[in-house]
Amino acid sequence: MNKYLLSAAALLVLGTNAAFAHITLETQEAAVGSTYKAVLRVPHGCDGKATTAVRVQIPEGVIAVKPMPKPGWTLQTKKGKYEKSYQLYGQAVTDGVKEVDWSGGNLPDEFYDEFVFRAMLTADLPVGQKLYFPVVQECGDAVDRWIEIPAAGQDEDTLETPAPGIKLTPKK
Amino acid sequence: MVDTNSKRVGRIAGGLLGLLMALVVMASTSQAFAHAALIKTDPADGAVLAQTPTQFSLTFSEPVSPLVLTLVKPDGTPVALTSFRLTDQTLEIDNPQALKSGTHVLSWRVISADGHPVGGSLLFSIGAPTEPPVVSEAVDWPSRSAIWIGKVFLYIGLFLGVGGAFALAWLAGEGRAGQRFVTAAILCGLVAAPLSLGFQGLDALGAPLSHLAQPVIWRTGLGTSFGWTVLAALTALGLGLLSLAGPRVLARPLALAGLAGVGVALAASGHASAAEPQWLTRPLVFVHGIGIAFWAGALMPLGLALKRQTAGAVAFLRRFSCAILPVVAVLAAAGIVLAVIQVQTPSALAGTAYGRLLLVKLALLVFLFTLAAVNRWKLTASAEAGATEVQRRLTRSIGVEMLIVLAIFGVAAGWRFTPPPRVLAIAAAQPVSVHIHALEAMADLSITPGQAGPVAASMIIMTGDFGPLDAKEVTLVLSKPDSGIEPLKRAATKPGDGSWRVDNLVIPVPGRWTVRIDILVSDFKMVKIEAPVDVRP
Repeated sequence: MNKYLLSAAALLVLGTNAAFAHITLETQEAAVGSTYKAVLRVPHGCDGKATTAVRVQIPEGVIAVKPMPKPGWTLQTKKGKYEKSYQLYGQAVTDGVKEVDWSGGNLPDEFYDEFVFRAMLTADLPVGQKLYFPVVQECGDAVDRWIEIPAAGQDEDTLETPAPGIKLTPKK
Repeated sequence: MVDTNSKRVGRIAGGLLGLLMALVVMASTSQAFAHAALIKTDPADGAVLAQTPTQFSLTFSEPVSPLVLTLVKPDGTPVALTSFRLTDQTLEIDNPQALKSGTHVLSWRVISADGHPVGGSLLFSIGAPTEPPVVSEAVDWPSRSAIWIGKVFLYIGLFLGVGGAFALAWLAGEGRAGQRFVTAAILCGLVAAPLSLGFQGLDALGAPLSHLAQPVIWRTGLGTSFGWTVLAALTALGLGLLSLAGPRVLARPLALAGLAGVGVALAASGHASAAEPQWLTRPLVFVHGIGIAFWAGALMPLGLALKRQTAGAVAFLRRFSCAILPVVAVLAAAGIVLAVIQVQTPSALAGTAYGRLLLVKLALLVFLFTLAAVNRWKLTASAEAGATEVQRRLTRSIGVEMLIVLAIFGVAAGWRFTPPPRVLAIAAAQPVSVHIHALEAMADLSITPGQAGPVAASMIIMTGDFGPLDAKEVTLVLSKPDSGIEPLKRAATKPGDGSWRVDNLVIPVPGRWTVRIDILVSDFKMVKIEAPVDVRP
C-alpha cells in the first residue's frame, strides 16, 4: 500500500513537471470592473538557460497598467491605442500601456522569480470566459513564447505553450 | 472505271481532310486549366463517428462532376458509390450501406468544368480507428482491354495497311495481290484511330468506360500527346488509301508520304519518344516505325503474290530481299538503343513489367529473325530461280512471320500500361504537395521527393485571403500519431525567393503524416495550421 502511494506521489510530482515549467499567473480568477494584481510566475528558463527578458502583451479591455520595477532588470513599457474609449475615475481614456518589458536581467534556471504589474479589468470584459496575457520569455538567443490561445472548443491542456490566463468572474 | 475511282477517291480525300481539320481545330483550342480544390468535407478527415453516416459531402472551390467515387471498408473491399447529388459546389454522396466499426477510406476523383481531374482520399472511422485499409488503384479491365485492342488495330492499320500500300506501290511492280487485305487493314486503322482517342481520354481522367460519350473525355484525349499520334496516323492512313485508290502515277509519292506519316505517328507520343535525349529518341522511333512498316507491310502482299504465283512475284521477292537487309539492320539498331534508354539497368529487365514485356518481344523477335534469315538465305535464291515448291515453303514461312508480327503488335501495345524504369524513377522523385487553408493563414507545402527518406520541404505562406504574409519565423512539425515516432520539428529558413525551406528532414516511414506549420506572425501571435499528407514508400 505504501509502495503504491509512494509511486503514485512520485508520478504526480514528476509527471506534472511539464506543466510546472509554464509561465502562469498566480491569481487565476478575477472579477471584471476591478483592479487586478497580476503576478507572473517564472519557474524555469528556456531549456535550462537563464531568463534574460520577460515581455507581456496587454489584451484589449485591460487598462491603467502599472508594472512593478525589479532590481537588476530594465523596465520598459510600450504604449498604444485602445480599441475603444474606457471610463477611468470619471475620465475617458483611449490609450495606455499595451506591452510591458523587463529586460537585461539574469534569472538562472534553478531559481524562481515573479514579475508583477497592476491593471484595471474593465467592466465590459466577457464574464465567464478566460482572459489571456501572452508572454514572451527570452533567454539570451533562445525564446519561449507562451502565446497559444485555445480556439473555441479546444482543450487548453493540449497546447504546448499556452498563454497565462485568468477566469473572469462577475462584477462584485 | 477510272472516273468513278477518282470521284470516290476525291470524296474520301475530302472527308478525311474535313475530319483532320476538325481535329486540328479542337486540338489547338487553348484551355485554361483551373484546378478545383477541396474546401470542406463531411465527415472531416480523420473524424471518429459514433454511427454510420447517411451521406458524405465534399465541397470544392468550383462546380465539379464526379468520375469515380469509392468507399474502401476496413477490410480493404471497395464499394462503388453511385448515388450522388450535385448542389452548386457541393457533392453529396449517399451511403448505401450500414458500415461496421473501423477506419474507412472515401476515395474520390472529380473533374472540374475545364477538364482537369482532381483526386484525393478522406479517412474516417466508425467507433474506434483501426489500421487504415490499403487503397489499391482498381484496374478498370474493360477500359484497359479497349485501349489495348484499339492500339493493336491502330498498329495493324499503320504497319500492315500503310506499309502494305508502300510495298504495293514500290516493290510489287504491276502485281495487285494483297490489295484487298491492305485496304481492309487501313480501314481498320481508320476506325481504331479516333476511338483510341476516346479511350485515351478515359484513361487520362481515370473514368470508367460508361463515360465514353462525354465531350470532356474526347477533349482530354485530344489534349494529350496521343492526340498528335492519332492526327498523324489518320493522315498516314489517308495517304495510304489514296496511293491505293488514286491515280497510279501518284501512288509512289503518296505511299512514301504515308510511310513517313507512320514514323511521325509513332514518334509523336509514347514512352520511347518522350525519353531524353530528344534529338536521339524521336528520330530513332521514327526510323524504327518506318522499318516495321516496310517489313511487316510487305509480308502479306508478298506471301499472296508467291502463293498465287503471279507474274511479278519473283521480281517482287527480289526487290524485297535486296532492300530488307539494310532496313532490318537500321530497325534493330534503333530498337536496341531505345531499349537501353528505357530500361536503363539489366536488373530492370526482369524486375519491372516493362522489362518483362521487352523480354517477351525480344523472344518473339528471335523467332522472327530466325525465320526471316532462313527465308532470306536458304529459300529466296531458289525461289527467285523459280522453284515452285520452295515458293510454297516461302509462302508458309511468310504466313508464320505474319502471325509473329501480330503477336509483337500485341506485346508492344501492352507497353501502354507499364511505365518503363526510366519513368518509374522520375515518378518516385515527384514531390507531394498539400494546400493548407485556415482563416488566418494558408500555406502551399511541397515535399520533395514525396517518399520516405531524406526530403526537403518548401512552403509559401500567405494570409487567409491570398495576401502576402511576412512571417517572423516558420516551424514545420511532422507527426504520425500511433506510430511511436516523436514528432519531427524543424525551423524553416528563408532562401530569399519568398518561400520557406526545411532541408535537414528525414521522414522515417511512409504513410499518412500530419504536417503542421507554426507561423509566428508577430512576437505575441502564432498561427498553427495543419493538414494530412500522404508520403509514398
